Amino acid sequence: MRKFIVTAFSALLAFSASAIAQPKEVLLGALLPLTGPAAPIGIEEQQGVQFAIDQINARGGINGVPVKILFDDSQGKPDQAVLAFNRMIDLNGVPALLTAFSSISLAIAPLATRREVLVVNPAAQTDKLENASPFLVNTIPLVRQEASVLAKYAIEHVGKKAAIIYENAAAGIDGSTDFRKYFQEAGGEIIAEEPVEFGQTNYRSTLLKIAAAKPDFVYIAITQSHEAMADQVGQIPDFPTGIGNTFSRPFFGHASTEGWYQTAIQSGYPDEATVAAFKKQFNAEDMGFFAREYFNSTNIILKAAKKVIADGGDITGPALRDAVLAIRTFESPVADVTFESNTASRPVEILQYKGKERVIVETARSAD
Amino acid sequence: MLYLQLFIDGVVSGCAIGLVSVSFSYFYATTGTFHVAHAGIYTFSAYFAWWLVGVGVPFFGALALAVALGGVAGYLTQRLLYERLARNTASPLVMMIASIGLLTVLQNVVAILFTPNIVQFDLTWRLSHLSLGGISLSYPQALILVSSLVIVTALILFSRHSALGKRIRAVTSNPDLAEITRLAPKQVFAIVLAISSAIVAVPGVLIGVDQALQPYTSLLVLLTAVIAMIAGGIGSLRGAFCMSILLAVVQSMSVAFMPGRWSVAAVFGIFIVFILFRPEGLFRSRFSRAF
Repeated sequence: MRKFIVTAFSALLAFSASAIAQPKEVLLGALLPLTGPAAPIGIEEQQGVQFAIDQINARGGINGVPVKILFDDSQGKPDQAVLAFNRMIDLNGVPALLTAFSSISLAIAPLATRREVLVVNPAAQTDKLENASPFLVNTIPLVRQEASVLAKYAIEHVGKKAAIIYENAAAGIDGSTDFRKYFQEAGGEIIAEEPVEFGQTNYRSTLLKIAAAKPDFVYIAITQSHEAMADQVGQIPDFPTGIGNTFSRPFFGHASTEGWYQTAIQSGYPDEATVAAFKKQFNAEDMGFFAREYFNSTNIILKAAKKVIADGGDITGPALRDAVLAIRTFESPVADVTFESNTASRPVEILQYKGKERVIVETARSAD
Repeated sequence: MLYLQLFIDGVVSGCAIGLVSVSFSYFYATTGTFHVAHAGIYTFSAYFAWWLVGVGVPFFGALALAVALGGVAGYLTQRLLYERLARNTASPLVMMIASIGLLTVLQNVVAILFTPNIVQFDLTWRLSHLSLGGISLSYPQALILVSSLVIVTALILFSRHSALGKRIRAVTSNPDLAEITRLAPKQVFAIVLAISSAIVAVPGVLIGVDQALQPYTSLLVLLTAVIAMIAGGIGSLRGAFCMSILLAVVQSMSVAFMPGRWSVAAVFGIFIVFILFRPEGLFRSRFSRAF
């Protein structure tokens, strides 16, 4: 009897202690471009985050602790993002937030370091993000890792003379710089290069100039208006084959882009029921790339929060960052994400557009 | 052949910008109001047509309804916004700020009512193109070319020869006298903005068919159109249209001689030099508010 009382008392003490340590709620933030030219991407990202939060709350939260998400609009502009970041931290004390776009992630990285807030980047790929902040975690490989795989494949299978069309913004500039570096190192030659502006929809003069240079292929690094470019490519006879990175996916499905190549970070779909629930909740035709990546990255933060709570710690930026790096490998149907550093390592696929399919022609990891 | 194709593409782009410029110029020359929200009506009408096509309305029906919507939006803008501000003796700067506000509202209404996405019309014919001696012109490009020439010619003829056109010109020349002589300038201003807004719906829709629709980039189109209006001679419809084509051709062809990133700078640089040597513009001997 005495033993029972001691055990029961100990259990009660332990329960009380955990009840005291357990937070009332876990508050996260997401700083996304919800208005402006980048809003289509931002809204898809928001849906991915919201879906992950709704799912965990539907399951009773993290060990019974509800999760709340705060969204703020960066408008796709670094200055607005900095204001929104300060609002989130000063007014709400958010310990971790998701972000979007290279320029924005870079702008808030020093603030994240100073305020010790975990910033998770699920989509931006500029190389500068690698060392931007010890509190910045990239759940997607950076541009140079994709570029190195693509350059190696291109010179072996597509041609040795290339042209480049790139968006005059961080992701496009990095993409072109990295591709040029790896392609030239492998013995390739860049014979023409043209920038275009973010959100541009008339590419005719650029495409004509590039086609006139007669390269073996064109490396294209843009993040918007692919459909308009594909339409205008169709108007130019014998336009060379295009190749691109993850963001080139919208080129798929056009008659003018048959035979084109793109790299893709391996990004799968959740199970059918989850995808169906997503489609129903947001009245969406598909659970797109950005929705899946932000869904997965939110789950990574939630898993880290679960570990922090289980360890009896406070939900703070440093605690969440340490938990992410301690857990190290996050497996899900969307992606198996491994953190050797603050940037995830994930396989890169090379896909070719053949009719109604994107055929995997090679899968590799960057040697760099 | 490269240069010829770049030239043709420039002419087509210039025709579309020319319609924006001409319609902006028509209202600005009449009222003196810097109607920045013109860019918002351009976008709103285009997304409206896109939506109509999406629900099954035939394209030309959708275009006609978008033009009508543009006209109504312009009329209401004058009656409910500019006319009230003018009654309160608002300065041109206040009018312009109000117009910027209206532009922002329209852009956000587009994003809320329709979609914030870059979208394309679901029309199979828009990918077809004509090939003439190695020159390629998409059907929407051909439509832009023909419709802009027809509309600008019609507007000039309307302005010069119709009773209403003459009345508008009279009000433009002297609004105070027009008030005394019962030409009802307030009503004329509303009619002019309705006409201008109906016209600007056409390039909004056709550029959307040719390329894609963007909720937030119409201000850049308007900026180029305003530059063309100034360089063409404020108040000259012919000048605004010709200068739009010239600027667009320079921008398109400059890509062949310099990196594309310099093309916009080249256009604006030419504008600055041009305006230094001919501040009255291409087709006007002095600044005035008449056609």
